[in-house]
Amino acid sequence: MLTGFRAGIEYLCGERDDAPALFASRWAWLARCAVWTLAIVLIYAFSGQSSKFIYIDF
Amino acid sequence: MIFNTFSYYLLFLVPAAVLYRVVARGLRPWVIVLFGSGFFLYFAYGMAGLWGAACLLIFLWESLVSRLYKPGSRWCLLGLVQSVVLLGIFKYWNFFTGLVFVHGANPLRWQGAFLPLGISFFTFEFYHFAWDRRAGRTEAGTLGEYLAFILFFPTMVAGPIKRYQDFLPKLRQEPTEWNSDWERGITRILTGLVKKFAVADLLTAWTDHLNAHDVMLAQRPVLLLWGFAYGLKIYADFSGYSDIAIGSARLFGIRVPENFDWPYGRRNIQRFWQCWHISLTRWLTDYVYIPLGGSRVSVPRIYANIIAVMLVSGLWHGAGLNFLVWGGWHGLLLAGHRLWRQLRGEASTHPAAVFSSRVLTFILANAAWPFFCMDLHTVMLFYRRLLLG
Repeated sequence: MLTGFRAGIEYLCGERDDAPALFASRWAWLARCAVWTLAIVLIYAFSGQSSKFIYIDF
Repeated sequence: MIFNTFSYYLLFLVPAAVLYRVVARGLRPWVIVLFGSGFFLYFAYGMAGLWGAACLLIFLWESLVSRLYKPGSRWCLLGLVQSVVLLGIFKYWNFFTGLVFVHGANPLRWQGAFLPLGISFFTFEFYHFAWDRRAGRTEAGTLGEYLAFILFFPTMVAGPIKRYQDFLPKLRQEPTEWNSDWERGITRILTGLVKKFAVADLLTAWTDHLNAHDVMLAQRPVLLLWGFAYGLKIYADFSGYSDIAIGSARLFGIRVPENFDWPYGRRNIQRFWQCWHISLTRWLTDYVYIPLGGSRVSVPRIYANIIAVMLVSGLWHGAGLNFLVWGGWHGLLLAGHRLWRQLRGEASTHPAAVFSSRVLTFILANAAWPFFCMDLHTVMLFYRRLLLG
């Protein structure tokens, strides 16, 4: 179950190409749209306080 | 800033990726060279002025010297030495001369010292190419292809650290899955930005307190909270950065190595390092650990090699004694884990043992982060207050 959960998260985050069974249906695009929308809302909501990436200075 | 600025996307990533798609295959490396050079000049000038921008000459020099590399050639040794010397001068000059003149003013101090943008990472790629070319493990490619490799701007500043023999076929192939590449790439970039904005930057409210003044005043549970907050912040920050770099590369139809694979859920410190900053771990294994003899030497030498590699890793992260201690801590953990496994055999698969080993690994890895973000004096204060009150 944990493996399936992890595969789902990785797929929704763009890390994995092959969709796990849960997202193999023809409605999976809805989940992907929801992820993009949520991501854009979060980025917009928190974008006012950004700082330098830590590893830029290394 | 770079990946969290509009200029990265509007001036560089989107125009370069679109142009890369429409031009003839032979021109594609030069699109990367053009935009990679512009990217370096723009952001290096913003960070270190004219001298910073002038460091583009390092790339041009390296690419010219690299044309002389051949299997078994001494020119490759020159390439290795010049990579290390460049990094040594820019990053460690004041640190090492400061250690020599520890009891007084440092007459050799470089007052205007600055770090060229991405030097710690492009040095690794220069070094890798010279080494692998000497060993005959990679072909030379054309000048344009090599320049595209070192000036590939999504990974130029902070990785993931690429290998030329992996990159070259992807540069030469005809990308056929543009729609899928762009969909996956943009999703990955958005994920990285969410990690940065909504997690890493949010945790700054706690991690900003990791300084001598606040550490002195804070209560023990609060210190613990700040310490773990930094562990989560650096994960969200750097894995977010890697997500954006990997997603950006995907817009070109190029896949670069992964850098993180759920490191905080791992059962032991060895697995942690196989899943944390993966491209660095592989680089250190191939170009430091194995040349030192790796695991094919006497048992004491194996342990010494492990600790030496992690000290190098620590020093690479920063020119400071705190980074050296951070690397040493991880070296001792890795050596301790290896010894434990030799004495006790295979790890238990009992659920309680698995769970407790995951928790222990998480705590031990996080216990080292204070050395990463504070100078040695402040870390001592942090631990004295945390453990003794």
